[in-house]
Amino acid sequence: MLKKYLSSSIGKKQIVALTGLAMVLFLLAHLAGNLLIFKGADAYNAYAAALKEFGALLWVARLGLIAMFFIHFVFIFLLVKQNRQARGVQYSEPLHANTRSLSTKLMPVSGTILLAYIITHLMDFTFTHSNIANATVCGDYLGLYGLVVNHFSNPFGSLWYVIAMFAVGFHLTHAVQSVAQTFGWNNSKYTPFIKKTSVVVGIGIAAGFAAVPIYVFFLACGTSSCTLG
Amino acid sequence: MSNAAKKINLNLKVWRQKNAEDKGYFDVYKAEGIDQDASFLEMLDVVNEGLSKQGKDPIAFDHDCREGICGMCGAVVNGHAHGPKAKTTLCQLHMRTFSNGQTLVIEPFRSRALPVQKDLIVDRSAFDRVIASGGFISVRTGSVQDANNIPVEKKSADLAFDAASCIGCAACVAACPNASAMLFVSAKVSHLALLPQGQPERSRRVLGMVEQMDTEGFGNCSNEYQCEAACPKGISVQNIARMNRDYAHARFTSED
Repeated sequence: MLKKYLSSSIGKKQIVALTGLAMVLFLLAHLAGNLLIFKGADAYNAYAAALKEFGALLWVARLGLIAMFFIHFVFIFLLVKQNRQARGVQYSEPLHANTRSLSTKLMPVSGTILLAYIITHLMDFTFTHSNIANATVCGDYLGLYGLVVNHFSNPFGSLWYVIAMFAVGFHLTHAVQSVAQTFGWNNSKYTPFIKKTSVVVGIGIAAGFAAVPIYVFFLACGTSSCTLG
Repeated sequence: MSNAAKKINLNLKVWRQKNAEDKGYFDVYKAEGIDQDASFLEMLDVVNEGLSKQGKDPIAFDHDCREGICGMCGAVVNGHAHGPKAKTTLCQLHMRTFSNGQTLVIEPFRSRALPVQKDLIVDRSAFDRVIASGGFISVRTGSVQDANNIPVEKKSADLAFDAASCIGCAACVAACPNASAMLFVSAKVSHLALLPQGQPERSRRVLGMVEQMDTEGFGNCSNEYQCEAACPKGISVQNIARMNRDYAHARFTSED
C-alpha cells in the first residue's frame, strides 16, 4: 500500500508537500529565535544557550529536520526527472505563460539557491563556533551574537543571505498554496484566502529573516559597530 | 451581417512528420486569401486543397464534429493549445482572431504518452486506457429506472456536469509544462465521484485511473494551472484537488 502510494505521482507530491510544510514550521520557529537579535546580545545568546540545553532532544529535532530536507529533495528529484521525460519533443514556440507566475516559474531556481545557501549557512553558523577571533565586536566578546554581527558586517555575507531570503520568499509564495491543493483543499470559499496566506507567509518569512542582516549592515555597522552590545 | 468578409494572408510554419517513427521537421506555407469568417480547420482545408493540386501531401490533422464538442481536433498555435482564444477548440477558432500577414507556428500536442502519428495528429489511446482502468460505473442493464429515483443535490449535479463536459482533447496535457494529464483524469474521476451512482466503485476507480495515468508516462502536476487556462471546456483545477484527496483516502482506507 505504502509502496504503491510512494511510487504514484500524487503520493510523491503529497510527501513533498508534507515535508515542505514541516520545514515551513521550522522556519517560523527559527525566525522567532532570530528576531531576538533586536533585543540585544544577552537575550540572543541566552536563547541559543537554552536551545543547547535540550541536548539529545535537540539532536532528535535536528535529525528530523535533516530527514525532512532529504525526503523533500529526493522526491522532487524523482518528480522533476519524470516531468522532463514526459514532454518528449520540445515545442519550438515556447508555451504561452497564461497562468505561470514568476514564483512558480522560478521554483527550480529558488530551490537550488536554497540548497546552496543551506550548505553555506550550516558552515557559517552551525559548524563554526564563536570564539574570541570571530565574535569580538569592538573589543567585547559577544558569543553567537558577535559571530552574527561580524558575519553580516561583511557585505558579501549580508548580500548572499538576502538573496537566499528572496529565494525563500518566492519559493513559499507558490509552495504554501500548493500544499493545500495537493492535499485536496481547493474550493471557491477558502482558496482565495489560502492564496493570500501563501503570499503573506512567503513575504513575511523572507522579510523577517532579511531584517537581521539589513539591520546589522546598515544600522548597526553603518555608524559605528560600537553602538552594539 | 457583413456581406463580404475580409480576406487575409498568413505565413504558416507547420510541423510535418510522416509517421510515428519519423523525426519530423517544420515546413513553411502561405495561406492566401483566407476568409476571416473561416474556422482554423477550414483555413487548413484551403491550404491542403492547394497542396493536393500541386501533388503534395496535405497537412494531416484530426477533426470530427467541428462544433467544439468531440475533442478530436487540436494543435498548439503560437504556443497556445487550441490557439489564443480562451475556452475555444481549434475548430471553433475563427480566422478573425488573426491579423493579415501574421506568422502562425502550428505544432502537434507534445507529450511522450500521446505520440504523434502524422503531422498534427496525436495518438490519444493512452486516454482510452485511463478510462478503461476505472472511468465507468458498473450498472445493471435492462429497463430504464424511474426519473428522480436517486436524489442528487443540485450543487453536486452541477459540479458533476461541469466535470463531465471534458471532451478528452488533451489540451491540458499539451499546455502543462510537465505534460501532466491530471486535469483530464481528475475530471473523469470527479464527475462520477460527485454522483451517487459513482460511489460503489469510487476507491477502485481513482486508484486504477491514477495508476494507469502514471504507467502511461504523463508528467506530474506542479500546480501551475496552465491546463485550466488552456481547457476549451473550462474544467476547474478543483477537480485535481478532489482527485488528490480521493486518491490518498482510497489508498489508505480501501482494500482495493
